[in-house]
Amino acid sequence: MTPYEIFLKLAALNAAGIPAALATVTGTSGSTPRGAGAKMIVCADGTIYGSVGGGCGENRARSAALRSLLATRAPELLEISLDDDIGTKGGDVCGGKMWIFVEPFPPGGGSRG
Amino acid sequence: MTELGRIIDLLARGEEFCLATVISSAAPEAPAGGKAIVFRDGSLEGTLGSESLDKALPAEALRALADKEQRAAELPGGVRVFLELPAHDAKLLICGAGHIAVPLARFARAAGFSVTVLDDRAEFASPARFPSCEVIARDFAPALREMPLGPAVYAVVITRGHEHDADCLAEILRKKTAYAGVIGSRRRGLVVLEALEKKGLPAARLKDIFTPIGLPIGAESPEEIALAIIAELVCVRRKGAAAARALRAVPEAGK
Repeated sequence: MTPYEIFLKLAALNAAGIPAALATVTGTSGSTPRGAGAKMIVCADGTIYGSVGGGCGENRARSAALRSLLATRAPELLEISLDDDIGTKGGDVCGGKMWIFVEPFPPGGGSRG
Repeated sequence: MTELGRIIDLLARGEEFCLATVISSAAPEAPAGGKAIVFRDGSLEGTLGSESLDKALPAEALRALADKEQRAAELPGGVRVFLELPAHDAKLLICGAGHIAVPLARFARAAGFSVTVLDDRAEFASPARFPSCEVIARDFAPALREMPLGPAVYAVVITRGHEHDADCLAEILRKKTAYAGVIGSRRRGLVVLEALEKKGLPAARLKDIFTPIGLPIGAESPEEIALAIIAELVCVRRKGAAAARALRAVPEAGK
């Protein structure tokens, strides 16, 4: 999905009363699957749209997104090291570092008015 | 209008801007998640939460816009912002809705391009053939003349004949696009280039045309040709036109 489509989807979810969190790659170092700007939407039921690179990194972003939606209702900046992914034991994961910003939409998670 | 609504509105109008989001902050007046928009002329819309931040932001945003690089930046007071350039969205324009267009549109959608398909034959330019694409059934030249082409547009010309190809390219080359390519053998490519020269298009601009289109991977079927074209578009998008041309120049082994 293009960034524009991600924003449209997010707006459509919000219009339907479905709170969702947006995860955005804000920086990388070394070799990572996606560059800065890659985006993923996570809904409270775990549904995702788009991708921040797949694998364990994406899974951590998904968990953080659910946390920001259901518990903290606040944004969070994740630092994810892809060296310690289980996948690297097979020697096949990119191996860099990425920062992912996770924020609920609407801001505050939509459940506090 | 919500921030989200405003972003969508700007993108739909093809505006170029930098969206700044606070991603970490030591300043209580500028909490994480705060957003502001900076335009090419340096003007600011919205606020990050304090006057000093709003003053420092435009210079950083304009640098990101000039470099075409989305990145995080440090502002005074321990505030870190992500500078995003959401207008930098790739759009594929396919002129000619024949056999190659179908897999090409599909692969392009999967690779993150938004896709517009144009053909003057309504039975080919039918939305059913091109799911989640914009499909336009109109004569090529007038439709292209009205279309907002620009530096985010990748134009692939694969009509049913070189006359239509030349008509399309004549319109497309009037504006600056990220890519313009035309299908066909080396010979058909030359015929099209000659026709364009006769139409008065500058030779320097004709050099920008990629023909034969697609990376030389020996593609034969429509799907394979679509794959070769998409590979070329991805290379232009990620590494620039010069890198894509270098790949085409690789001498063919075994010949």
